[in-house]
Parts: sequence; structure tokens; C-alpha cells
Amino acid sequence: MKPKAPRDRQDDSLSAVAVSPEAVARRSDGRSGPAPASTVRRRVGVGVGLCLAIAVLFALLAPGQEYLTAPGRMNVGHEQLACTSCHQPAPGSVRQQIQAGTRFLIGLREAPVDFGLREVENSDCYACHERPFDRHPVFFFNEPRFADARKAIAPQQCSSCHREHSGRRVTVQPGYCQHCHGGLEMKNDPLDVPHATLVRESLWLSCLGCHDFHGNHVMKSPTRFADAISSLRVGRYFQGDASPYPRELKMPARQERGDH
Amino acid sequence: MATVYLFVTAPPPLADASAGDGKRLSAHEVLEICAAENAAVRELYTNEIVGAGQKVGLRFDEQWEQLKFDAGPLPALFLRQTSKSLARSSVRLGLFLGSDNPVNKSNQFSGPQAAALQEMRRDAEPRSFFMNDVRLYTAMFPDFAVAPACVECHNKHPDSPKSDWKLGDLMGATTWTFPSNSVSVSETLEVLAALRNAFRDAYTRYIEKTKTFSSPPEVGKKWPSQCYCLPTPETFMQAAERRSSKPTLDRLLSRRQEVLRESTRPSGPQ
Repeated sequence: MKPKAPRDRQDDSLSAVAVSPEAVARRSDGRSGPAPASTVRRRVGVGVGLCLAIAVLFALLAPGQEYLTAPGRMNVGHEQLACTSCHQPAPGSVRQQIQAGTRFLIGLREAPVDFGLREVENSDCYACHERPFDRHPVFFFNEPRFADARKAIAPQQCSSCHREHSGRRVTVQPGYCQHCHGGLEMKNDPLDVPHATLVRESLWLSCLGCHDFHGNHVMKSPTRFADAISSLRVGRYFQGDASPYPRELKMPARQERGDH
Repeated sequence: MATVYLFVTAPPPLADASAGDGKRLSAHEVLEICAAENAAVRELYTNEIVGAGQKVGLRFDEQWEQLKFDAGPLPALFLRQTSKSLARSSVRLGLFLGSDNPVNKSNQFSGPQAAALQEMRRDAEPRSFFMNDVRLYTAMFPDFAVAPACVECHNKHPDSPKSDWKLGDLMGATTWTFPSNSVSVSETLEVLAALRNAFRDAYTRYIEKTKTFSSPPEVGKKWPSQCYCLPTPETFMQAAERRSSKPTLDRLLSRRQEVLRESTRPSGPQ
């Protein structure tokens, strides 16, 4: 018996199920006739999935939901910041950035460009935390004589000690003073335990008990070593606990960026 | 399609500050101009503000930033204030001051800076090197005792490790850093503008502080050599620019003449 041609089989199915011409035209597999139930289910599934994905995407990108996409908890004191407080757009439109990037890749431009968002820099921290009297401004550490300290803890970048999205206040370990103050000498030492002794005994965890690193707290260093804040409390402060230093600040952080 | 998108229908290209019009300076040349500008401003501040000011009752001290302390910045701290202002600008120019005999131990040179200062003591010539870890071109320039106020203060200071400084002595060095060794003229001008802005900012901070003095000096067009008064930041900067603009322009023009000579030199074996 001569087998039926495929066209004939389609004709048979058409005769078996009543469908509208539009339904026939909707089939995407190039064949006419109604889609099988499994295909319909698959399409409904894909449609629902797409809608859900779009809804999730919108929910993630909605204002106030930044914490859902952040790589970790904001550091202590930064909980209320928006992403754009630190992550600033790179100069130019997307198209200009693509063009400039392409020109750089083929040697028609000297400097590379950022795409989308530019890298977060010290200046982004200064936008809120600029303090003219900072006793350890990060840029000082770009001087040649701090090469060893740079190798050890990279103090020339704010983010080396305040790595964001870590849920803490300070992310470096206390005791870092040793990298620069190993040769400390004082002509008129005001402390009952001489600083030279503290250095000789490598009591580097004690430094922050009398001196806050950036000098932003209104405080007078004690003259008795026993009156210093314990290193344990300082360590907890680094982790995010309340400050053991006096509450009054010389210059509180700005609540919004104050770019120059 | 990509070519049309990227080049034919392109919007205005992003500014490339590092690109130039063919005339380029090395980092050392740019830093040399900056150091000369700084030397002129420091001399003006040391002589006309600190030196003359002390004679009419103005006080200058390392604790000048303390609240309720009626004092202004010593010359070294004026430089440090300039350095801080520079750090806030978008130009990545770094400025530091140090010595092998500093009043403040935190300004003690070590490593390559100490070695460079020793070499400078022999010939008083600037030194340049590259800091590989931070990718910064670095130049050091000698810092001489240019005014009696430098010598008097350093000799009398209780923390000074040396008390026999003389006028004209090499007291230390300024260290300058810049991230590129090929600088366009427009970039150079940006650097100079940022530096002058930093001088103005440092002086303005001092003037702001004088407003908190129990007996504030008059601020106007007069200088301390005339009265218990101080020039405004505008007047101060005008005087500074009068001292430094011509040498700076001469340096830029001499560089241009060098480039022109190089471009018109016949090619081929010499």
C-alpha cells in the first residue's frame, strides 16, 4: 500500500479538529494546523516565566531595594546610602563610551575609558568624609618612603581599610601602626609608659586606645597608659559596635555628596 | 554597520585630556615648572606673611588648626595645606615636603628619598625616579633656607634635631608625583591651574582662621609690612602670579622652541 504524503496527514488532522484560520497561522513550526497541547503548555510556561523574570528584575532594580543586588551588607554608618552615593556614572553616553573604548582598542585614543559606572575612588569617599585636619590623609601614603606600608596594607586607598559591603566599620586588623611608626622617638613623652617601651614590646594594639586614626574625635589623649581604651573595645568598634571614643566629632560626615 | 555606528554617525568623541597637539612635556618638565611656582609662592608667604607678620604681632605655629588658638600655618604647614588641597582636585599631582633633619619626625626621609637628598647635597640638582608600585613619576627638588624666618624657627624649635642652620642651606626637598610621563600642553595648563587653586585655597584657609582670632587682623589690600593686616586671597595670589608667571611662560615657550627645532631638523644620518 502506498504511504500517504505528509500533506495528506495534515489534511486528516484538520478534518478531525475544528480550529480557526488564525490558530493555523499562529503555528511557528512551519506546519499548518493547531499546536499540540504540550507545545501550548510550553508556550504558556515560557510566557509566565518571562513575566516573572521581568517582575523580579523590576523588583530588584526598584528604588530602595539596592540591598538585594549588593555584594554584601553595607558598612556600619552606610546603611542608608543609595548605590549612586558611591557608584557614579562614567563620563559620556553609552554610545560615546563604546566609541571611545573601540578607538582605544585600535590605537586611535591614548587613554582608556570606563564603561557604565566608573571605578569608586578616594574622591568618592572625600565627597562626604573630607576633613582638612585628617592626621592620616590617604594621599600622603603615595610618597616614596611609604613603599613598605603600601606593600603591607595599601593605606593610599580608603577602601583598603574600609572595604565596603562587608557589614563592618573598619576591615583592616588593629595594629597596623607598626608599618610606619616602628622608629618612633619622643623628646618629651607625656605618657607614663614611654612610647619607646610600647614600640620595643610591639604593643601595637594599644595605639588606638589613645589616638583615633583620622583624628576626627574631640578627645585628649590620656597620660596614664591604664586609662587607654582597651584594644578589645577598639576591635569591637572596628566590627561595628558603638564607638569607644568621645561622641563629639570635629567634622561629622556629610549626609549627601559635596563634590568639588 | 559597526563602522557606521562607531565612526560615521558618531556623536562628539569623549574628551581625551592626555591627547595633545603634538607638543608634549615629560613628567619631570611639568614637575619642574610646578616646583618653581611653589618656590615662588613659599618665598612670598615666608617673607611677606610669616616674616613680616611676626614683627607686627601675628603668630605662626604648628598647632595653628587648633580651635581658639590665634595662629597661622608655618611655611611647611602652608605647603602641607596646599598638598591637601591638591589631593582634592581631579588632577593627580602629588606634593610632599621632607628632610633628613625635620622638626616633625613624620617628615623624615628614608629609602630613595633619603638617598636622593644626599646626592642633592653634592650638586643641588633635582632628582627623578619612577615608583613602580603606584606607577607614579617622581621628582625631588632641593628646598633651601630662603628667608631668615626659616633659619630662626628651625634653629630655635625644641624638636629640631639641628640648630645651626644658615641662610642658603639645603634644608630638605619637595617631592612631586605625576601619573604620566607624556603630558600635553593642555594637561600641563590644567595641572598649573590646579596648583594655583591649591595655593589660593591654602591661603584662604588661613584667612578664614584669622576671623576667629580674639583680635583679627584687617584683611584687604595691605601687607603685614605696612600694618597689623593681611592681604586678601586675591591680592596674595596676584602677587604670587606676578612672581611666577613669567618664569613659567618662559619654560613653556622654551619647550615649544625645542620642539620646533626638533621638527625642522633635517632627517638622516648626522
